Amino acid sequence: MDARVTPQARTPELRRAVTPWGSFSWGYSDVGADIFIGLGLVLAAAAGASNVAFLFAGIVYVCIGLAYTELAAAYPFAGGGPYFVLRGLGDVFGFIAGWAVLLDFTIDITLFAWSCVDYSGQLLPVLVGSVHPWVHFTVVLGLIVALCVLNVVGVRESTAFNGIVSALDVASETCILCFGFLFAFQPELLIHNMTASWPSPYHLMLGTSLAIISFVGLESISQAAQETYRPASVIPRTSVALILTILIFALAYSNLALGMQPWHPIVGNHGQHLQFWQIFPSSADNQGKAVALLAAQVPYWGAIAALYVPVLGAILLLISSNSWVFGSSRIAYSMSRADLLPSVFQRVHPRFRTPAVSIFAFCGLAALTLAFAALPALFPGAMAFYARVFHGESGLDFLADLYAFGAATSYSFVFIALIALRLTDPHSPRKFKIPLNIPVRFRGEKATIPLLGIVGFVGIFSILIFTLMTHPIGRIAGPSWLLLGVILYFVYRRHRGLPYLRSQKHDWRRHQMEILRTSGDLELLDEYTANLKAAENRTGDGSHA
Amino acid sequence: MLEASEIHATLVGAVSAVLVALAIAATFWWMLHPPSSTVERRAKEAETELERMVGSIIVVFTPEIASSHMMALAAKVARGERSELLAIYVIELPYTLPPDAEMPLEERGALDALGAAESIAKNSGISIRTEIVKARSTKQAVLDIAKRERANLIVIGDHREGKYVGAPLSRTIEEIAADAKCDVLIGVEGKHGTLFVGEASQSATTEPPASQS
Repeated sequence: MDARVTPQARTPELRRAVTPWGSFSWGYSDVGADIFIGLGLVLAAAAGASNVAFLFAGIVYVCIGLAYTELAAAYPFAGGGPYFVLRGLGDVFGFIAGWAVLLDFTIDITLFAWSCVDYSGQLLPVLVGSVHPWVHFTVVLGLIVALCVLNVVGVRESTAFNGIVSALDVASETCILCFGFLFAFQPELLIHNMTASWPSPYHLMLGTSLAIISFVGLESISQAAQETYRPASVIPRTSVALILTILIFALAYSNLALGMQPWHPIVGNHGQHLQFWQIFPSSADNQGKAVALLAAQVPYWGAIAALYVPVLGAILLLISSNSWVFGSSRIAYSMSRADLLPSVFQRVHPRFRTPAVSIFAFCGLAALTLAFAALPALFPGAMAFYARVFHGESGLDFLADLYAFGAATSYSFVFIALIALRLTDPHSPRKFKIPLNIPVRFRGEKATIPLLGIVGFVGIFSILIFTLMTHPIGRIAGPSWLLLGVILYFVYRRHRGLPYLRSQKHDWRRHQMEILRTSGDLELLDEYTANLKAAENRTGDGSHA
Repeated sequence: MLEASEIHATLVGAVSAVLVALAIAATFWWMLHPPSSTVERRAKEAETELERMVGSIIVVFTPEIASSHMMALAAKVARGERSELLAIYVIELPYTLPPDAEMPLEERGALDALGAAESIAKNSGISIRTEIVKARSTKQAVLDIAKRERANLIVIGDHREGKYVGAPLSRTIEEIAADAKCDVLIGVEGKHGTLFVGEASQSATTEPPASQS
């Protein structure tokens, strides 16, 4: 064995090799897939006000996106939302935010695998859930197991593959929308549907809380921040571009769906002609593959789109599902390293060097969620219980409920962390700052409070309230998940002899300097050092953290 | 075959389609052009300077100056920058001989050196011109050809005045570097290639190290 050692052995670091397009496609492969699921659910719930639901959720999403952009550019460290909350609000809230994100990621594994099979069912009728529930269930379960195994052995899709699929999807969706608006859009039909089919306040709230799931996944860009070259310059651009792209698609799709004259007439059960959006409320199968159905109804382009959109959608959803497997294990791993979760989640497979315990744990949980979601379809006898306890919600609705709860909870914490970090850490350079700020003084230092952060928090908190009011499963299972997590957290902290409510001591200043040193934006390191020095000169000591 | 409806083209629909396409295109253009940092601007300036510097490259060989390793480097640079490449072999003609004197041994050596240069260029996938030049002064011949070819870069290997360690570079090379109107890249090996020898002896266990020119 070669006994030579290199002169300077260093801990391996994540290599900064992700380009602007790589960063965008990393996020797009997660968020871009959401509209494939969200569109049908929102059209089914909010009917003629679907575009309004998307608009409201979109405004909140813009605020969320801007918050993530500012935080990821200022703290380009792998970890995403839970890391920001840990830094801004301390260990307990960092844990709660991370635990909520873990719920989201676990649900996402199932939700996206489920929808992937729904899209495939557009071309392979044997996979249609309502007709062959056992086949549907088995294939979804098979996908979860396969993704679990692939992640344990360390096989992941390459960034280049993500980039190609994202580029194809952006081009495809732009073509669908352009052809749809050019040849099938009738403004008077849109106005008619909005007036004649305006939903009740309950359904509008339900639709809005579901619309937010079309915008979940910004975590990915901030999680990739540590691998992005010059993150402070690149991440604001890719995040804002991602926000705008998804917002454009969501608003355009919802308006097109409401004002679209179908290319092929749609006939209802009683022989009457249906509007396009009317095929969703009564069919869970249709809700799972809305974009493919819409694409098939677009004149000219629809002839091709009907063939490739189900395939493209299924691939994008599968990539997304895979990234949630990877993301959940990564978050559990980083939470475990921060002493927020037991060290078993850090355990890596001796041969494959992957966090196998985390992967098995969250894939197992995803499989359990799948069983709960699919139970009424598999055993119709269980329907009565679901009707009594969960208002009859099952399948895609079951998963979407939990998804909306987890997303709204974790985003709420991120807004609070944003405001807290503005006050407690005014020295970190922020190359991107959310516009509209109120100057304040905090502990003798000049700081600012982001007005849009407050607006965003109010927006996402109202969506959380909508979710609790309109989603029976979200109302029961969501808070139960958080309560379970908090109990486990206290048990674990007691076991380790760590403080329950107080945070451990973190040297954030040194940590921040290390992050900026490796980020490639050395000007920011200079700025940070100068800010700290100026603060020390003002106060006459070095006590700033 | 499904029945198809009629087309519903409206002005609002057309404007919406154009707006969607423009908004997506503008977003991506903006995203892919982030502001450059100081180090990136410096790198860009250096690359521009390199492009200007290596438009036309001349690699110089003489009986004393073996430039094969520099030829390999020049070929790689020329391929990356799409430069023109000319390899010249200068045979210095003593004043005791007439201008058209035959020097078979030196000419044979020239054919070997330029043949190797062509082979390196071929392996690198670039085209190359070669030329054997007889001149009274190597320095003057190189400078004249550089002027004729409007060369941006002269690449030359090293030759020392003595055999001892630390001997100065040959006077010809010094003069070319001093009087050339373009950049000159001189490939000076380490102390008799000790770096290569050291690395080769450490890494090669089954096969002998590749020979160095």
